[in-house]
Amino acid sequence: MNRAILIVGFVFYTLNMFAAESPVILYEEDPTLLTSTIQVVVLTGSSDDPDKKQGLSNLMGEMITRGTKSKNRSTFQGEVEAMGATLGVLTSDDMTAFVGKVIKENTEAFFKLMQEALLQPAFSKAEFASLKKEVLADISHAKNSNSRLAGLALRREVFAGTPLALPGSGSLSTVKRVSLKDVQKVYKDEFHRGNFVFAIASPLKKSEFEKWINPFWKKFKKGEKKERTSTAMKIPETPKLVLVNKAKTSTGSLLFGQSGITATNDMRYELGVGNYSFGGEPLVSRLFRTIRSDLGWTYYIGSTYHAMGQLNMQQGLYVISTTPSIEFTTQTLMKVLDMWKKFLKEGLTKDELNLAKDSLVNSYPFEFDDAQERLWHKLRSYLYGTPVLSPEEYAKKIRGIDNKDVLKAVSNNHNATGWLVSLVADKDIIEKQLAEAQKDVPEKSRLKISKTYEPDELVK
Amino acid sequence: MNRLKFALRLFVLVLFTTAFASGKAGYEKVTEKTLFNGEKLYEYRLDNGFRVLFVPRHKAEVLTYQVWFRVGSLNEKLDPTLKKTGLAHLFEHMMFRGSKNYPDGKFDEITSRIGSEKQNATTYYYRTNYYESVPSSKLETIMELEADRMANLNLKKEVLEKEKGAVVGEYRRAMDQPTRKAWYELMRLMYRESPYRWTVLGSEEEIKGFTLEEAQYFYKTFYAPNNATLIVIGDTTEEKLMGLVTEYYGGMKAQQVPRPPVPDEPIQKKERKETFSHRQATSEILMMGYRIPSISHPDIVPLSLLSTHLSTGMESRFRKLLVDRGIAVGASAGTSSSPDVFQVFVNMAEGQKSSKALSIIDNEISSIVKKGISEKEFRRALNQELLNLYDDISDSSSLGTWLGEYLMLSDNYMRGFEVIDAYKSIKPEDLQRVAKQYLTKKNRSVVVVTPAKKGKS
Repeated sequence: MNRAILIVGFVFYTLNMFAAESPVILYEEDPTLLTSTIQVVVLTGSSDDPDKKQGLSNLMGEMITRGTKSKNRSTFQGEVEAMGATLGVLTSDDMTAFVGKVIKENTEAFFKLMQEALLQPAFSKAEFASLKKEVLADISHAKNSNSRLAGLALRREVFAGTPLALPGSGSLSTVKRVSLKDVQKVYKDEFHRGNFVFAIASPLKKSEFEKWINPFWKKFKKGEKKERTSTAMKIPETPKLVLVNKAKTSTGSLLFGQSGITATNDMRYELGVGNYSFGGEPLVSRLFRTIRSDLGWTYYIGSTYHAMGQLNMQQGLYVISTTPSIEFTTQTLMKVLDMWKKFLKEGLTKDELNLAKDSLVNSYPFEFDDAQERLWHKLRSYLYGTPVLSPEEYAKKIRGIDNKDVLKAVSNNHNATGWLVSLVADKDIIEKQLAEAQKDVPEKSRLKISKTYEPDELVK
Repeated sequence: MNRLKFALRLFVLVLFTTAFASGKAGYEKVTEKTLFNGEKLYEYRLDNGFRVLFVPRHKAEVLTYQVWFRVGSLNEKLDPTLKKTGLAHLFEHMMFRGSKNYPDGKFDEITSRIGSEKQNATTYYYRTNYYESVPSSKLETIMELEADRMANLNLKKEVLEKEKGAVVGEYRRAMDQPTRKAWYELMRLMYRESPYRWTVLGSEEEIKGFTLEEAQYFYKTFYAPNNATLIVIGDTTEEKLMGLVTEYYGGMKAQQVPRPPVPDEPIQKKERKETFSHRQATSEILMMGYRIPSISHPDIVPLSLLSTHLSTGMESRFRKLLVDRGIAVGASAGTSSSPDVFQVFVNMAEGQKSSKALSIIDNEISSIVKKGISEKEFRRALNQELLNLYDDISDSSSLGTWLGEYLMLSDNYMRGFEVIDAYKSIKPEDLQRVAKQYLTKKNRSVVVVTPAKKGKS
């Protein structure tokens, strides 16, 4: 990555942050691209959904793509798709991104359609009914996937009583409660100048887009950029196991959850090094080498700070996930808990630390190897104020980390025993395995199933 | 379509088609082509038959490195020494578990240390591939490691036994997924003679039963330079690349690779149907396969576009007829090659019967056969295909996979571009014709997955 580009880029964000009367346009110009990708980001997301109406932001975003005042959905989407384009929406905790992709020749015509959708959404009753039907069907379908069920159980426990207890799409009951009026209100309240960010990667000149975006942006009312706070979560002091009962699975779907980190956590680089070695990097991490390579209990095991998407201003979750063969499920659970305790006590070996540092520094160029990646860095930097480090700066930061730094970071941000563990498996089998594995453990210290869910409960 | 005419309408400009010496000992430059986006593609061949495809791309100081072997689960089932399935896949795992020069774990450690990304390997019916992306300054390191495991693998019994556990885990995870199980059942239903009826993963019994001797036989027999292709896309030069290729791969010896013919599958004379229940399923699944010709046949072009018309985009027919009405949560169609199948896959919404989706799909196909599709719908499908192609070719890993798959399937790595180019010459009537010819009831197999009743497995 050219350092000069990074510096220029950083000056650009700074200018934009003080230029409240002009739209925020983050731009990556690449003349070799065959397509233009246009993201119109609105700074409202599922963490803003009111209680008992989770899924509202998701429904609002989808409705924007379903027709305009002068074009019904079929005409609108037909025009989009006929010009070699797609228009979709991604709703996350803190933003709703309208993502359009188009073959480069049709960029201007497509962007006009995007503008029409954002300025004059139809909010048709029939489309809303159809959308709800579709979303409800997808929510029910989560029961077919053991990994989705494990995620639902984990969220429900960790974020109990907050909007994040449910995924962005909501549950059957919360989606049913959302009305078209609710959707229109979110649109009316949140679609203002301060909440828009335009992130574009295109072979066209930036000046072309500026020409199109400025008058479009001015058609929205004035407003201030939304500030974010983190949602509180409930992490137990000792391991707590919740089970989703599914008969006769041949594997167990295990998720271990602890508090994650925000995008601005000042120890994020040290935690990144620690996580790389503990479980983050498939093939070489401690978890992978032990549980898969040496013991052969599972096909996959790994850990991540990105279980709930990219880091943002929500603390999110740090998650370990694995799907061991059913006969090794409880052994895997116990082994992971032990390995985590050891990690928090001792940190990394010298070899692990050096491998993590070499790998992170050497793979850093991939963070900038295409326009989309570069654009993502710009967006994150704008939203959270996190600097985009040059390769030299990044190498210096990572190379300077030692085991004491890793230990300090993990002990300040994590707990040696405080895991919320969700498991999808056959209850009878797991209870027998737990009894057998803990026969020498005093009754009061044993890990037990603290709650059992049936799949239906997690989607209703 | 006239095959000769088809071949002449290549989307790419073929600049050199005859082999010529590169001037460097040990390899020859076979062809140089210009892709439609202006990029160059070079093909080289070593004396031992090892093929190299190279697309220079200097946008970032990184490159994609992929090694493709023309061996997959078909070979093992047809091989008189093995006659089993699952070993090609298990063996792919063993390629990460130590060579004579680098003990178990060292390959992963070094590739991680040099900053390798997107590193993995996959096995399918007809091929196995190994791939990663690395900083371009690490080209020699990755080539030394890849060439080393191709020539000097050190298979050990105790490591093989451990790896079997991971593969059994992978197998069981697949079996817990109703859609994966449905695909396996569809293949078994469609193919009675061909080894496509056997799964790539094999069975749990077969996985556990493989011996060290069988793994060694497989390695010696199929991992030969004349059975392999290296694809490099990224920031390096011909001089540097081919100098290293000659050094690291040039010393390997070509060998006879057995290639028993895949048994012809008898012509299907009537519709085949099967229903089974899956204990993890909570809603029904409909999966169908229509037999179609191989990738080299011109009808693949309209068939591929027909699948796009049916299932790509918000305005696709399946989306409107099945998903928007709350009958299904997802519905897709697509062509696959080796096995040559036009697939239809529908995830039913809870409580909805697959018979309803089947009836709707039958009506839609019948309508296409009778009335054809409009010019507007045809244009939509065409431009959606182009958008997908542009995405594929822009990413180096995807382009490598694109070239590799077509090479393994048809011995013609440009075949994918030919298919796209041929879109220019087909008309809506061609889609109607292939629908009439191939999407018939007697030519299809239908698998329905139902949720198991509580208390039953």
